[in-house]
Amino acid sequence: MLKLHDLSVEFDEGFQLKHINWQIEQHQHWLITGANGAGKSALAAVLVGYGDILAGHTEGMPVTIGWVSFEAQAELIQAELKKDDADILDVISLGTPVSEIIFTDDIDPLIAKSLIEKFELNYILERAFRKLSTGESRKVMLVRALSCHADLLVLDEPFDGLDRGAHVMLQDHLAEVVQHTPVVMVLNRFDEIPNFISHIAYMEQGELRHQVKRDDAQAFAELYQLLHLKTTDMQVPAADTDKAATELIPQQPLVKLTNISIKHSEMVLIKDLNWTIEPNQHWQLSGPNGSGKTALLSLITGDHPQCYSNDIFVFGYQRGHGESIWQIKQHIGYVSTALQWEYRVGTSLRNVIISGFYDSIGLYSKSSDRQKHIADQWLALLGMHKRGDEPFNKLSYGDQRLLLIARAMVKHPPLLILDEPCLGLDDINRQLVLALIEKICGAKETSVIYVNHHAQDRILGIDHYLALEKSADNR
Amino acid sequence: MSNNYFNTLPLREQLEQLAKCRFMHMNEFTEGVDALKGKKMVIIGCGAQGLNQGLNLRDSGLDVSYTLRQSAIDEKRQSFKNASENGFTVGTYEELIPTADVVLNLTPDKQHTPVVTAVMPLMKQGACLSYSHGFNIVEEGMQIRDDLTVIMVAPKCPGSEVRAEYVRGFGVPTLIAVHEDNDPQSQGLALAKAYAVGTGGHKAGVLMSSFIAEVKSDLMGEQTILCGMLQTGSLLCFDKMIDKGVDPAYASKLIQYGWETITEALKYGGVTNMLDRLSNPAKIKAFDLSETLKDIMRPLYNKHQDDIINGTFSSTMMADWANDDVNLLGWRAETGQTAFEKTPAGEMEISEQEYFDHGILMVAMVKAGVELAFETMTAAGIIADSAYYESLHETPLIANTIARKKLYEMNATISDTAEYGCYLYNHACLPLLSDFMQDIDTDVIGRGLSGDDNGVDNARLIEVNHALRSHPVEAIGATLRGHMADMKKII
Repeated sequence: MLKLHDLSVEFDEGFQLKHINWQIEQHQHWLITGANGAGKSALAAVLVGYGDILAGHTEGMPVTIGWVSFEAQAELIQAELKKDDADILDVISLGTPVSEIIFTDDIDPLIAKSLIEKFELNYILERAFRKLSTGESRKVMLVRALSCHADLLVLDEPFDGLDRGAHVMLQDHLAEVVQHTPVVMVLNRFDEIPNFISHIAYMEQGELRHQVKRDDAQAFAELYQLLHLKTTDMQVPAADTDKAATELIPQQPLVKLTNISIKHSEMVLIKDLNWTIEPNQHWQLSGPNGSGKTALLSLITGDHPQCYSNDIFVFGYQRGHGESIWQIKQHIGYVSTALQWEYRVGTSLRNVIISGFYDSIGLYSKSSDRQKHIADQWLALLGMHKRGDEPFNKLSYGDQRLLLIARAMVKHPPLLILDEPCLGLDDINRQLVLALIEKICGAKETSVIYVNHHAQDRILGIDHYLALEKSADNR
Repeated sequence: MSNNYFNTLPLREQLEQLAKCRFMHMNEFTEGVDALKGKKMVIIGCGAQGLNQGLNLRDSGLDVSYTLRQSAIDEKRQSFKNASENGFTVGTYEELIPTADVVLNLTPDKQHTPVVTAVMPLMKQGACLSYSHGFNIVEEGMQIRDDLTVIMVAPKCPGSEVRAEYVRGFGVPTLIAVHEDNDPQSQGLALAKAYAVGTGGHKAGVLMSSFIAEVKSDLMGEQTILCGMLQTGSLLCFDKMIDKGVDPAYASKLIQYGWETITEALKYGGVTNMLDRLSNPAKIKAFDLSETLKDIMRPLYNKHQDDIINGTFSSTMMADWANDDVNLLGWRAETGQTAFEKTPAGEMEISEQEYFDHGILMVAMVKAGVELAFETMTAAGIIADSAYYESLHETPLIANTIARKKLYEMNATISDTAEYGCYLYNHACLPLLSDFMQDIDTDVIGRGLSGDDNGVDNARLIEVNHALRSHPVEAIGATLRGHMADMKKII
């Protein structure tokens, strides 16, 4: 019934909605969600007719709209205050009484009266609207919006400022209204979503990024996590001080590869490569398939047998002088698609995170209470609170990836290697992973090596680049 | 050829050695690989065990190189490629053995005598010679120079798994032993423990045993329940199903993956749990079948154990070695031509539970084989711990090789010694069970019991459950699996 075609809209503050394609069908009830500043309220306001259309067009816009929002409320109060200013007589303005605000021509008085009863607003009907508390004026806005036989209800954070009783009352009332009127609701918090919401629109940076059906449980859960990661105040949990890795000397490079060559049979994969990674440098490693990206990284992690026949200095060890790979791995967090394939153990989510302390696939050591606590903090950060006992192999592919990133970071390693961390993920899971990486990079002194195919896909905060090419005898 | 070492010992010592087996505590490994730090370890042979153990030991910070025969190096054979492409130093016996503090003999049993004879004169005074199987010492009576320390470190899994588990941060259960006649500096145990740590074995559990207990129990387990019973069972069950009109592709799949599925239950909770996976009527059926099977097969298990203990088995096999493996190769070819081997598994879906419900006879065969092998071994003086590991514990590992590529893969993965014993068992067991198989129908193999009535007699069920749970292999199994759980292998 209502369509936005590739719509770009500008608002007073210069905020823009970009390329919105959206369609609301009869009997659909939408929730618009997203982080602060993502454009949720702006999108709702567009339905009401706000903003200057820069491009695209709309179709089937509703005539009568019931609108509740912080902006609408502010606007009304602003108008009241203006009336006060405009009063040139030297008398104190009483302001417009609530009854006048409510009972305008476009309002069905019967419905309005019953709602006034329900919200217990009789006692304020004769008070000046501008003297009301926030909660009271919000209720007045609701009565107006719900009494106007709207073609569409646009409810932007309708529960904000309502007391418990009013909240329940409104939920119940809406459940009836939605039988005949479509609703678009803006909510910051997923746990308040009313049952009648059938679709969810996820906004980010002025764009409508995801549209998800409520009954698609998988997508719904992912959206919940994404919103959680984008909005949570939670920080990356601390490392386990009881099981700290050996100290590194800050003046030494983390990694120094000198004239590296990797050969498979007679084929030379990498020849005479030099690469030094200093502490706190972020690197992007790129190159086509088969250019040796993963092989090069496995020289650093100690997973490539030729790490013993090359000149490799890592975390204070010259390789091949009596060190064990576990002494190397304690300084590295590592995530890749291959790791995910190998990590096919039926262990719990909590144990997968704890296994990062031991660099093991599966958990074979007795974990401490502190480690369990840290793992639970990570789960909370990932929006997987109270799911610690679920089996890892039953998780969705994207959730598994998130968990493996948490596993890699749980010990706060000086080097985090992300080998194509978004490979094989759909858009929403990609954003989940990137949101988590941003959170990690923002919080820590960890150096990151980010690997992908394309040198042009640049990641914020990365300032060093190494591009591999296929060697001549490997084309 | 020298004398059978075991047969030279007085009975008192034979019994003492057979009874050696102790599950070691984690805190016995606190010194890690220290006893081997800075020592030069030279591995002879670079097959699956040789390569993968070497990779683990090197990743644990130890100095590892490989020695091969001149011809293997000159011709760049697979063993040479395995070692050199993984960045190891490779040299001839003459080049590397004199520098070695520890020589790890990881060649096949058959080559032990020529290999050890060739390297022993080259070894440094006071060095250590390590085996992963005691056959050469115990059955062939190889005499080792007095100044050398002789130990055994035997990971109880195929080489590929030794590596895979290490990379995951774990290990595989490992048996260690010191040859007491060759421990002049009393350092054998320290070296064996450090070696087990280097391969990751200490994380999964280490058994301290003796060369004799290892050989006598290992031979018995592999040729009876592990390989023999699964081979005989596969052939009999398949032929019966074909005979009764079951779709060959289904029959092939049921057997190929069935052993693995039902023994997975065995791995987690012993024979009891494996039978508990069946319905009550099916459980009683499987129990009755297994009791009959045990009665029929007991003399065969006794014969295998007797031949192993008194050396008949090894001398027979060594005669075949001397005869260019005529018997072994003939039997191998014969296995490749069986109907089961030649019928590919179908594409149909078989649920995990269906493998139990339609494979009641297979469950009965595993139960009979495990219990008989365990009973026979312990009756011969082998301690229960050893008997458990060499019977029940390893059955799922062998079943897994059948799931990968049927009997061919199983026989290719196991040692020539196990393969030889497996064929001996199979040839004796097939005719032994022919009458028994006459009465078998598809209710116990291929189609399952008719599902109308799940009723059973209370008294009979209690009797069966009690018998299952009170078998001695269940008691020791519960204890040893408990140790494993303490090791926190979180599966």
